[in-house]
Amino acid sequence: MITLDANELTFGFPEVHERATCSISFQRTLRIPDDDRSYPLPPGLGDFPLRHIDDYEDRLPDEWLRRGGVLLPMYQAEALWICFDGGYPFALKIATGKICAVTGDSWAESLNRDPQDYLVVPGQPWLDGYCVGKGEVRQFVAMPLGEGYSVEEQLTGAAEHGGLQIMACPMKRERYEQLLAQQHRTYGVRDSVETPFYPGVCYSPAPMGLAPGGRMKQEIYDDEYGLDAWDQRHASRCFISIVNSRQWQAVTGEHPPTQPPTAAQYTDAGLPWFDFYSELEAVEATETLKGVSSVAAIGDQKGDSPLPENDSVEVDNIVELGAKRPSRAGSQVREMP
Amino acid sequence: MTHFGAALRSARERLRQDDRRYSLRQVAKRTGIAPAYLSKIEREEVGPPSEATIVRLAHELRQDPDVLLALGGKVRGDLQEIIRRRPKLFAKLLRHLREVPDHAVLHIVREVRDGDY
Repeated sequence: MITLDANELTFGFPEVHERATCSISFQRTLRIPDDDRSYPLPPGLGDFPLRHIDDYEDRLPDEWLRRGGVLLPMYQAEALWICFDGGYPFALKIATGKICAVTGDSWAESLNRDPQDYLVVPGQPWLDGYCVGKGEVRQFVAMPLGEGYSVEEQLTGAAEHGGLQIMACPMKRERYEQLLAQQHRTYGVRDSVETPFYPGVCYSPAPMGLAPGGRMKQEIYDDEYGLDAWDQRHASRCFISIVNSRQWQAVTGEHPPTQPPTAAQYTDAGLPWFDFYSELEAVEATETLKGVSSVAAIGDQKGDSPLPENDSVEVDNIVELGAKRPSRAGSQVREMP
Repeated sequence: MTHFGAALRSARERLRQDDRRYSLRQVAKRTGIAPAYLSKIEREEVGPPSEATIVRLAHELRQDPDVLLALGGKVRGDLQEIIRRRPKLFAKLLRHLREVPDHAVLHIVREVRDGDY
């Protein structure tokens, strides 16, 4: 079951294990410059609001309602990152426009290992973008669907789905209990994997998709448990439809969040960027995602300037965050102080 | 006996194994209480603090605020407000649910609907 509370989606599988829950939130952030330099991790600037799509059935087209799930507002050219929280191990598939953000393959409701098309949490605290190199992602940036910027349009030639799709698959109960016992023997730490690791008139909102923005250093970690660890009989999925923030109020009656600061404003104020260290092995990027073009590059080809305030910045203030075994806990506060 | 202080101390000490910022002094500072007071709470020399302080401690120590409040013998203000608005209805509902197993309770929680895509 998936529940929504305080802008956080919680995937729960009480039928697998009473502790099998994983919470996912979507963080507002600044858009890093799309200049082919590789930046550290930008900060979290608070949760994006999430709302049940069913609460606006008189205001949204049938096509949106058919997908179910939740609504999230984003300004054009705004960025986001996805934050994972929970101690029970999960395999998570993340797609945008039904294209896997890890491999670039079309959406499939099974886990695949070669290449690995999912993330493993805890271990992977965040996902900021598409895996375009070993230890490198291109930031998720919202763009209107139909203009050719989204990964979906670049890889399929169609602007059909947009939004984000997430599928969560918990670890098998017996594997989890073995893992707990093993950690207890190895480290003398009880329940250590449970340490938390790290929401009248019918409108036709312009559909938004996610597109690849600037490069940043972030690793997608290899699955250290293996495919057999995951209970694929009990997966749940959710469609996150993205509404342009300028239309959010017309749909929901609520004000959207304000626009985030630019990378230059944030950096000039001396505020920190982040880096994350883990002992886990990173996966390689696929040729498919290595080949996608960034928003700025497509804009150049089209003679457009889709990203305002895209000047490069020099980042000096970088806060190192890291995970140590066995608890993988530590200071994971990736927020503007 | 709820062992609120022991649970708090255990959560803090677990985090401190990996990060020295979870010392008693630093946690107290970040949650806006005196270190001596936090020490007394952990040693259960005083009762659990206010709801607001428990919620701050829960966020700081990555605990579920509702669980920590329950350990402190408190019910969150927003839940009290829900009951106050329709006291008879919710009293009846809660009594009715007292013996209902978890999986059955979860069936009445609103789920995010999955659709067709």
